[in-house]
Amino acid sequence: MTRHSLSLLLRNEPGALARIVVLFSSRGVEVESLSLAPAERGDLSRLDVVVGLQQGRTVVQLIKQLGRVVDVKNVVDGTHDEALELGA
Amino acid sequence: MDTTGAGALIKALEDVGCEVIFGMPGGAILPAYDPLFDSKIRHVLVRHEQGAGHAAQGYAQATGRVGVCMATSGPGATNLVTPLADAYMDSVPIVAITGQVARSMIGTDAFQEADIRSITLPITKHSFQVHDPADIPRVIAEAFTLASSGRPGPVLVDLPKDVLATATTYTPPKITTPSRPVLSPVQIRNAAQLIGSSKRPVFYVGGGVIRSGAAQELRKLAEKTGIPVVTTLMARGAFPDSHPLHLGMPGMHGTVPAVAALQRADLLIALGTRFDDRVTGLLPEFAPHAAVIHADIDPAEISKNRKADVGIVGDCRDVMAALSAVITRKTDLTDWWNYLGGLLTTYPLGYDWPADGMLAPQYVIERISKLAGPEAIYTAGVGQHQMWAAQYVKYERPGSFINSGGAGTMGFAVPAAMGAQAGAPDRTVWAIDGDGCFQMTNQELATCAAEGIPIKVAIINNGNLGMVRQWQTLFYEGRYSNTRLGTHQRHPDFVKLADALGCVGLRCESQSEVDGVVLEAMAVHDRPVVVDFVVGQDAQVWPMVAAGTGNDEIMAARGIRPLFDEVE
Ligand SMILES: Cc1ncc(C[n+]2csc(CCOP(=O)(O)OP(=O)(O)O)c2C)c(N)n1
Ligand SMILES: [Mg+2]
Repeated sequence: MTRHSLSLLLRNEPGALARIVVLFSSRGVEVESLSLAPAERGDLSRLDVVVGLQQGRTVVQLIKQLGRVVDVKNVVDGTHDEALELGA
Repeated sequence: MDTTGAGALIKALEDVGCEVIFGMPGGAILPAYDPLFDSKIRHVLVRHEQGAGHAAQGYAQATGRVGVCMATSGPGATNLVTPLADAYMDSVPIVAITGQVARSMIGTDAFQEADIRSITLPITKHSFQVHDPADIPRVIAEAFTLASSGRPGPVLVDLPKDVLATATTYTPPKITTPSRPVLSPVQIRNAAQLIGSSKRPVFYVGGGVIRSGAAQELRKLAEKTGIPVVTTLMARGAFPDSHPLHLGMPGMHGTVPAVAALQRADLLIALGTRFDDRVTGLLPEFAPHAAVIHADIDPAEISKNRKADVGIVGDCRDVMAALSAVITRKTDLTDWWNYLGGLLTTYPLGYDWPADGMLAPQYVIERISKLAGPEAIYTAGVGQHQMWAAQYVKYERPGSFINSGGAGTMGFAVPAAMGAQAGAPDRTVWAIDGDGCFQMTNQELATCAAEGIPIKVAIINNGNLGMVRQWQTLFYEGRYSNTRLGTHQRHPDFVKLADALGCVGLRCESQSEVDGVVLEAMAVHDRPVVVDFVVGQDAQVWPMVAAGTGNDEIMAARGIRPLFDEVE
């Protein structure tokens, strides 16, 4: 099990948080802590989460899977500064 | 205020180019059915919403457009779950429109309330629940764009009944075409270099090549380089079966040459494919000597199962065009082709006739392919007949084989054929189905009969859940627990059932009758046709890589392991 802290910017759309949480549970990602707060921009929220990954699963892979979620604006890996910048 | 939410929905669907909806009305979605009554959009009234979903998938894959299905709230919506999961696995662009209870009732366990958005979260690309009727046109346009762009997939639009009923003003949606990923020139150059220096390269082609409409580019690139091609279950038809560079399908029931090409390759050029476990076999033993170029529109697929040496995020069509532009010369692949050519000669696909004198299922499918030809569309259920349809129909063009690959959904064939036929009325559509699968969704034949959708269904009636029985033969000492269907005892009688559903029902039990019956079925144009092909119960699908083993252990037939023996 490896540990990573990720920081996501989400659009404030209904179901956005649910989609992220379901992605974690579908992909066997353990959530150690999770906090959601309004971001500087009013239409966005910041989600800070510490996750545990099973052996053989990489954080890069998880970041890309999070990047597929339509309401995710960007994802930053706080542990390694691995970042996925998405379009507007 | 010139319309209602429902009016805006139908108008928006017209504006985004929807020509057919497969669905069933009910309380919550009822407002939408009123303006639909006057619309130029065709509505096909299904007998079960699962049929609507698979029909939308069949339509999408036959036409390359977005398929649309519609259902009411609660059970109507939950009946769409299987097709949504199926479309998610196979990256099929569909939009599902569901009714929902009124906004004030959401969350109160109201009559026919189901939280379909939450239920489908892990199996949809995205979903919407609309709370303002003025948003409906924009949401419909976005749903279509999301479903069809990037890696295609299912999108759900959930519409509360009161939103559909509320007055609003229609604003035509802005239809956007999202830009495709820009290719990295460095990665293209790296890929071209690897291709240029490889001695044993192979194009490992997946369904993404069909989704991106890249069959032409693939052919060009393959012919330019002389590199062999394998097409996965989802890519059958992406490259002509008649082409001398084609080695067939890889995977659990792939050809020996195709599997050998992957195992012995020094370079895999993986295009729009996801290294599925049914292709790789035991992952650590997959293609052990190969470097990997992996091109996919979905960055999350690259290096997911197998690390890519060169990863290219992009549309397959763009990737192949870019590669064609920089690759200037053919590498000498004589030794490689000598090896593969030997396997092609020694291990062609083949089958034995059943010892009990019954009809060989593979022969039936081979003859249908011969008589209906490559311009027809073929769908399949899931099981042995599906694998034989992948092996023994000769595909020459993309979109001609429509099946449930990732999910493996029994019951897919009939409704998918219905959708394909609705989208391609001038083509012959054959559903190659199993006697088990057929019993899951054959009610849609009543839909086909009523709607004038004249599909042909070939039931490969082996009396059993044949694929499961095959595993029981091979891995459970022939203990046939719960796999006999009674279909050889005519439970049900498929000919009578076909007749009752408003179709022509035919039966065929011997080799000499096959061509005649197929031609008879093809001569019917005003109704669906069902042919009950009664075949032996012991035919097996070969070659086979047993689950949990490495591809080197591929058996051409029981006990014959050509690659394994080669190593020793
Ligand atoms: C909905 C569903 N239930 C169960 C299965 C498991 N399964 C896979 S193949 C198969 C047998 C299918 O029987 P039939 O349609 O007669 O096809 P055959 O293998 O005999 O050609 C079963 C039960 C499945 N794939 N899908
Ligand atoms: Mg069967």
